[in-house]
Amino acid sequence: MLSDPNSSEPNYVRRGFLDALILVIPAIPFALVFGLAVRESGVAIWLGWSSSPIMFSGAAQITLITLLGEGASIAAAATAALVVGARHLFYSFSMAPVMQRQPSWFRWFAPYMLVDQVFALCVGKQDLPAADFRRYYLAAGMTFWIFWMTFTALGLFVGPVLPPGLDITFATPVLFMGLLVTTIDSWQKAAVAVFAMGVTFLLADMPSRSGLLVAALAGLVLGLVLERFRR
Amino acid sequence: MMILLTIFMMGLGSYAMRAVFILLLSNRSFPPSALKALEYVGPAVMAALVMTMLLSPEGGSAPRVNEWAGLVTAAVVALVTRNHIYVLTLAMAVYWGVGYLV
Repeated sequence: MLSDPNSSEPNYVRRGFLDALILVIPAIPFALVFGLAVRESGVAIWLGWSSSPIMFSGAAQITLITLLGEGASIAAAATAALVVGARHLFYSFSMAPVMQRQPSWFRWFAPYMLVDQVFALCVGKQDLPAADFRRYYLAAGMTFWIFWMTFTALGLFVGPVLPPGLDITFATPVLFMGLLVTTIDSWQKAAVAVFAMGVTFLLADMPSRSGLLVAALAGLVLGLVLERFRR
Repeated sequence: MMILLTIFMMGLGSYAMRAVFILLLSNRSFPPSALKALEYVGPAVMAALVMTMLLSPEGGSAPRVNEWAGLVTAAVVALVTRNHIYVLTLAMAVYWGVGYLV
């Protein structure tokens, strides 16, 4: 959806790759910061990096490694990281219908790559033919995977090399906002999105970003209520 | 060793949270009302995620003026043009511009 919609060539591998690439660039500082967090935590660097292929979940990885480095108990660090990652339950729920049309190998493999960016790109692609959806999803997921493995490793050695004045991380919420808006096709969905943002804002002080979970649930409930006005 | 084990358990946990509904519901037929309800999951969780990205992990801090301006620009440009290259360039320009001014 980021690439040229008027392209006559429906090559979904290429589109998935290019769309993911645009989201990769603003995530570079985040990947480098993770490398730095591993170094500062005192956890062996290969061990800290191993969480990249094993967990493949940026925010949860940073939470886990940082808390372990600060001397929190393993149980406390793991709990916080699980809460941070719990939004993926919503992604899984949202993707369940479109995955029904996919082969079994893909249903088992796809969740491993269901990171924020892949969800954001693919949630609006559910009307594609099954094979095209799969190509797009795999291309976007693999692109992001290779990036995350490479740049979290790089971060172990170079630290945040980007100049601090070059503030590009904000491009991620900007692009997510754009993707969010293009999936909204009714006033009910718009109301749900605004409401979920408001609730997240009000719950900013909840630990481990758990306000996000409450807000997403609250938004879903509002959607169910508003859905009744459609008929 | 304990840390490696912890990372492995967290890896399993991460995968399980992403896979649970995709795998459990793979053979269930969704009634039309459930499919309608599912349509709201995307907007709700995406909106909450965008706002979360603007809040500091420690909580407390509200988004700054240039972040609000960039976000509103992104929404308006996406609504009008549906072109994400325009969204990216215009919203970042506003974000940097307002950040420079205030």
